[in-house]
Amino acid sequence: MRRLLATLLGCVALASCGVHQAPNEIVVQRFFGTCKAEYGNRTDVENAEGECGIMTTLINEFSAQNPDVKVRVSPVAWPGYNQLAAQLASGDPPDLVTMHLSAISDYQSRKLLEPLGKDLRAAGVDPNGFTAASLASVSKQGEIYGLPIDNWAPLWHINMNYFRQAGLVKDGKPILPRSPEELLAQARQFKQATGKPYFVQALANERAAYSRNLYTLLMQQNVDFFADPQRVQLQSPEVKQVLEMFRQIYVEDLTTKNQDYAAATNGFINGAGGVYLVGTWMIGDFDAESRKLDRPLSSGYAVMPWPQLYGRDATFIDGHAWVMPAKDRTPQQRDAIFRLLKFVADNDFEWSRTGHLPAYQAVIESERFNALPHRSEIAKISSTGAPLPSDVQRQFPVQDIIGEEMAAAITGHKSVDAALADAEHRVNDLLFHLL
Amino acid sequence: MTTRLASGAVGLGDRVILAATIALAIVMVLPMLWAVGLSMKSNAELLVDTNSVLKAPWTLRNYYDILIGSGVFRWLLNSIIVSVGMSLGVLALSSLAGYGFARLEFPGRNVIFVLVLFGLAIPEQAVILVRHQLFSDLNLHNTYAGLMLPGMSAPFGVFLMTQYFKAIPTEVDEAAMLDNASRFKIFWRVLLPMTLPAQATLGIFTFLHAWNDYWWPLVSGTNEQMYTLTVGIASTQMNFAESAGLGYLMAQAVFAGLPILIVYMFFQKYIVRAVSGAAT
Repeated sequence: MRRLLATLLGCVALASCGVHQAPNEIVVQRFFGTCKAEYGNRTDVENAEGECGIMTTLINEFSAQNPDVKVRVSPVAWPGYNQLAAQLASGDPPDLVTMHLSAISDYQSRKLLEPLGKDLRAAGVDPNGFTAASLASVSKQGEIYGLPIDNWAPLWHINMNYFRQAGLVKDGKPILPRSPEELLAQARQFKQATGKPYFVQALANERAAYSRNLYTLLMQQNVDFFADPQRVQLQSPEVKQVLEMFRQIYVEDLTTKNQDYAAATNGFINGAGGVYLVGTWMIGDFDAESRKLDRPLSSGYAVMPWPQLYGRDATFIDGHAWVMPAKDRTPQQRDAIFRLLKFVADNDFEWSRTGHLPAYQAVIESERFNALPHRSEIAKISSTGAPLPSDVQRQFPVQDIIGEEMAAAITGHKSVDAALADAEHRVNDLLFHLL
Repeated sequence: MTTRLASGAVGLGDRVILAATIALAIVMVLPMLWAVGLSMKSNAELLVDTNSVLKAPWTLRNYYDILIGSGVFRWLLNSIIVSVGMSLGVLALSSLAGYGFARLEFPGRNVIFVLVLFGLAIPEQAVILVRHQLFSDLNLHNTYAGLMLPGMSAPFGVFLMTQYFKAIPTEVDEAAMLDNASRFKIFWRVLLPMTLPAQATLGIFTFLHAWNDYWWPLVSGTNEQMYTLTVGIASTQMNFAESAGLGYLMAQAVFAGLPILIVYMFFQKYIVRAVSGAAT
C-alpha cells in the first residue's frame, strides 16, 4: 500500500510539472517550420536561404547582439491560429506572433492585440516607411497593429520556352493579355502551337487560389464587393464575367485539371503548361530550375504580376506581420519586444530574399532588392497591390467559401449563377453571426 | 482450414480468399512503403519528380533533420509520459468504477451508470471550449496533468470493466470474505488480477488514443516544451510542405509511426485479442 501511495504522489508531482516565463524572457511564436539542423546556431543571416533559414538566423543574430534578452522561439504548425486562440482564451499568449495581414482584423476587433504605433516610432521604426499596401493592411481605426514583414500576391510564373514556341514573346518579354477576350485568344494560340494547356493551376483540394484570382480581377474592375465589411456582394455582372472566363478556360482544356498544389507545382517544373498561377514564394525554386540544363524551364523562366485585363492595374495582396497579443508584461519584456521588432524591420531586405515583397518602400526601391532575380518585374505590386478592406473579418474562411463555390462553377458542378448565390449567402451568413 | 492447407487439400474458394487477402495486404502496405521511400529522398529531387523515389541516390538527411533539428526527444518524452500516465489513470479509475458498479449496492447506481454511458455519445469537440476554460481557470494548461486528465474520463473503460467484473462469479468474493479479506483486498488481490485481459485491451486502446491525439495537446500544451510528438512534428513543417518539403514530411510521418509500430510488435498478441474481443 505504501508503495502504491508513493507512486501516486510521484505521478501527481510529475503531472503538475510545467514551464514558466522569466522576467527578461520573450516568447516568439511563429510558423515557417524549423530548420535547427542547418541553422540552429548560425547567425550569418546574409547566407541563409528560405523562410525558415532566414527567420532562424535573424532571431539567432538578435539574441547574440542582445545577451540581456532571452528569446524563446516556439514554432507552431501552420498557420497556428488554433493554438493562438487557445492561448488567448487561457490568458497566456506569447509576446510576438507571426500573423497573416488578412487575419489581423479577427484579433484586433476583439481587442486581443496591442496597438504598436507609438512604441514602434519610439523604437525607431517609422510606419510611414511601410509600403502603401503594408500600411493599409496593419492599420485599423487609425492605429498600427502589426509590424509588416512582407507582402505576397498571386503571380504569373511563365515558361518562356513555350511562350516563344507559341509566338508570345516580344523583345525578350512575354506578351500578356490586356482583356479577357485577349486572354482566351492567346491561350488558344498557345495550345495550338505547343499542344499544352496555357495555364497550370491547382484546382483540386485548393480554395484560396480561386478567390485570390477573383479578388484581383474584381479590383481591376473597381468593383467594391465588400462595400459593407459585413456583407459581400457577389451576384453582379462583373463577378459573373470572371467566373465564366475561368469556366471557358476549363471547358476548352486551356488549363491543367484535377491537380492539387503539389502536382501543379511538379507539373509546371516538368513543362505541363505555360503559366502557373501561384504566389511570390515559388520564385526561388523556379529560378533555380531555370538555371539547370535540359529542363523545361532551362533559361526560360519569367514571372509577372497578374496582367491588367480591365481598367485598373491592381492585384490582391496579403502578407505576414509580427503582432503583439495583449497581456501584462514587465518593462524589460516590452523593451526587448520593440528592440526585436526594430531589428526585424532593419533586416527586411534579408527577408525579401525569400521571394516575398518587402514591406518597406525604401527596400523595394533599393538597388540590391532590384538586383535579386525577377524582383524588378514584380516590384510594382507594392503600389498596385491591395488587400481586402481592413474591417473585413474572417478573411480565411471567406476565401475558402468563395473558392469552394468557384470551384463548383468552374468544373461544372453548379451553374455560375447558383454558385455565386450560394457563395454570397454562405459568406454573409458567416459574417452576420460574428460574435 | 489450417489442417487442409497443411495437407495440401486447398479448395478453389480458399485460394481465391488467399489471393484476395494478399492483394489487399499489398494495397495496404504499398502506400506505407511509398512513404518510407519518399522519406529517403531529398526535398529538391521530389519537388521535380516524385517518381525519383525508385532510383538512387537515397539519403537519411530528412531523419537527421528531425533528430538534430528539432526538440523531438523532449516531445517523445512528453508523449511517453502523457500516454503512459493516461493509460495508468484510465486503468485505475475504470477498474475502481467498474468494480463499484458491478459489486457495490448504493442509491442511484443505475442512474449514475447510465449517465456515465451517456459520455460515450458526446464528441470531444462538443465540450472542448468549456473544458479549455475550466483547465485555464485551474492553471492546468502546459502541464502534464492538463494533457492527461481529459483522457482519463473514459466511459468506454468504465463500461468494459463493469461488464468484466460482472462476469466474475460473486462466489469468488464470498470465498475471500470467509478468509477475512477486506473489500479493498478482495478488489486488489483477488478480482483485479482476474481482469488482466480486459485491462490489457483497455490499456492498449488508451495508449494508442493518447499517442495519436492531436487536437487537445494542440490547444492545451501550447508551450514548445510541452508539445507531444504529434504537435511537435507538425510544428516543424514549412508552409507548402506537400511540395517543397515532401521528403521531410514523409520522414516525419514514418518517425511518428515508429513507436506505435514497436508497441505493436511487443504487444501484438494482446492487440489482436483486444480487437477481436471488442468485435465480439
